[in-house]
Amino acid sequence: MLVKIRSIANIGLETVPVDVEVDVASAGFPGFTIVGLASKAVEEARERVKTAIINSKLDFPPRKITVNLAPADLPKDGAAYDLPIAVGVLLASGQLTLPPDFDLTKSFFYGELSLDGALRPTKGILLLGLFAQKFTRGGTIFVPKPSAREASVVSGIKVIALDSLSQLVNHLLSKEKILPLTPSRVEENLEDAPVEFDLMEIAGQEQAKRALIIAAAGGHNLLMWGPPGTGKTMLSRALPGILPPLTHLEALEVTRIYSVSGMLSPGQALKFFRPFRSPHHGISNAGMIGGGSNPMPGEVSLAHLGVLFLDEMPEFTRSIIESLRQPMEDGTVEIVRAAGHVKYPASFTLIAAINPCPCGYLNHPKRECKCSEKQIIKYRHRISGPILDRIDLFVAVSAIDAEKLSVTTHTGANRISSKEAKLEVIKARQIQTRRFKAETRSLYTNSQMRNNDVKKYCFLTAEAENILKLAADRFDFSARSYFRLIKVARTIADLGSDEQVLPVHMAEALQYRQII
Amino acid sequence: MKFRNRETGRLAENLAIEALKNKGYSILESNFSNRFGEIDIIARDKDILVFVEVKAKKGTDFGSPEEMINHQKLKRVQNMAAVYMKGQLKPCRIDVVAVVLSPSDDLLRLTHYENVFF
Repeated sequence: MLVKIRSIANIGLETVPVDVEVDVASAGFPGFTIVGLASKAVEEARERVKTAIINSKLDFPPRKITVNLAPADLPKDGAAYDLPIAVGVLLASGQLTLPPDFDLTKSFFYGELSLDGALRPTKGILLLGLFAQKFTRGGTIFVPKPSAREASVVSGIKVIALDSLSQLVNHLLSKEKILPLTPSRVEENLEDAPVEFDLMEIAGQEQAKRALIIAAAGGHNLLMWGPPGTGKTMLSRALPGILPPLTHLEALEVTRIYSVSGMLSPGQALKFFRPFRSPHHGISNAGMIGGGSNPMPGEVSLAHLGVLFLDEMPEFTRSIIESLRQPMEDGTVEIVRAAGHVKYPASFTLIAAINPCPCGYLNHPKRECKCSEKQIIKYRHRISGPILDRIDLFVAVSAIDAEKLSVTTHTGANRISSKEAKLEVIKARQIQTRRFKAETRSLYTNSQMRNNDVKKYCFLTAEAENILKLAADRFDFSARSYFRLIKVARTIADLGSDEQVLPVHMAEALQYRQII
Repeated sequence: MKFRNRETGRLAENLAIEALKNKGYSILESNFSNRFGEIDIIARDKDILVFVEVKAKKGTDFGSPEEMINHQKLKRVQNMAAVYMKGQLKPCRIDVVAVVLSPSDDLLRLTHYENVFF
């Protein structure tokens, strides 16, 4: 007998339907074959399915079993086909009969089996939920319990969370019904990120703090430049504390990426807060951009709608820094491998920290720089012009006087706490959300505006435009940095809740222009 | 144990020959062997030459006899069949007879699979 079980395959963030056809022949020599471009992990499903069925106190039929994963030309990977294959074998061998009201075409099975018949956490359940929502009306998905909560935020589908194969059999035989998971709302899952440092704890560096707030408010890229030990790393670590919470749509977008990379902890429904990724400079190209024969998202995609922090940026290999160009410009990254090509979103805010020279003390008020001119030039050349041209905010983090550091005098100097800063940022983001409400593409922040959006949304007063023109003449801006300044000024105006970009905003934006 | 295995095999082969005869096959040869291998039974089903591999198991503690048949084993039978046929083009096929015996050598199950290939 032949049965057809519905399942899916995730290629990047795209989901395609896969039919798992299971035939248990009445005649022929016993055997178990899987066809349909199955990878090693899928091939091995034979042993897992067989043992899991036997250990669930069911019979594995001594017949000729053929499994086809259709469409046959699409490569299948991962252990998620264990469950559909096992269900198919049980149905096709007649051990399991479905209740008359059960609709197989509206039910999706997806999950990895363990040898004892228990179901293991499986990647990409959220994508399955979203697919089922789109292609069936009132469909049901049968998934492993540890990963099931991911799909509980998808409305309009039933999620059956399974502990084991025998539990599923009892459910289908109506012996012991499992209730669908109660849908959980996106909003109630959001929470604040754990904070390492409060802005209040950082001595001095008022301009850098302000730049950090602007970066958080408008999603602008920021480069901090200064000698070692002045607080560049500390400032960046304080950033998660002032980032605004994810919105409903953003949370789904981010969680999809974490779902396919299997980076959600068991039982977690959503990625709660804005990602803050801080990869070490030893990272490989595939680790940064994404890759592998079945391409997985890299750091740039894991930092989507959040922050990618590159500490000691010149220490990263040149090719890795250069490979950030395309994602910084387009907000997506396209990975091409022999197996096919995948597109991942990668719209991140880049925060970079660099030293002025290899020894770190160039232009230091008290210490001497020991680097030769050649060394300094070589160090600077590691970061190319095109990358610097894509950074919106430059800020010098200079050495701090001992006086400011002293515990007794620190009051008054540190004016703003992370909590206050966050409220400002949230307010500015709300203005931006209202501004871009009509846009169809995922445009959330000022920094994501394209040049024509800048013309559409940023109204400069005549005076502000005048300042910009004067500065453009004097400093010889590229066309990109011209528009970039307007975007930064727009964010500063949003922080002040001003409709128009006033001269003050433009003047402040000019302070953060390129300095290296 | 090896000795006992051979005895089990002989017993199973005789049982298989009985079963094939009952189905109307004529037995041409049993234990056709040279230094490359062996064909347990060579029979004729009407016009078709049938090469039979007999696989016996005592008890099912170590799995069924069917599990012991794989591509390699059938390949060996195929090669031996080629030797037997000496280049003649005749219709032929490979069958498998699976025999399960009890510890006291009683027949528990005998299954005949026609035209087996992997």
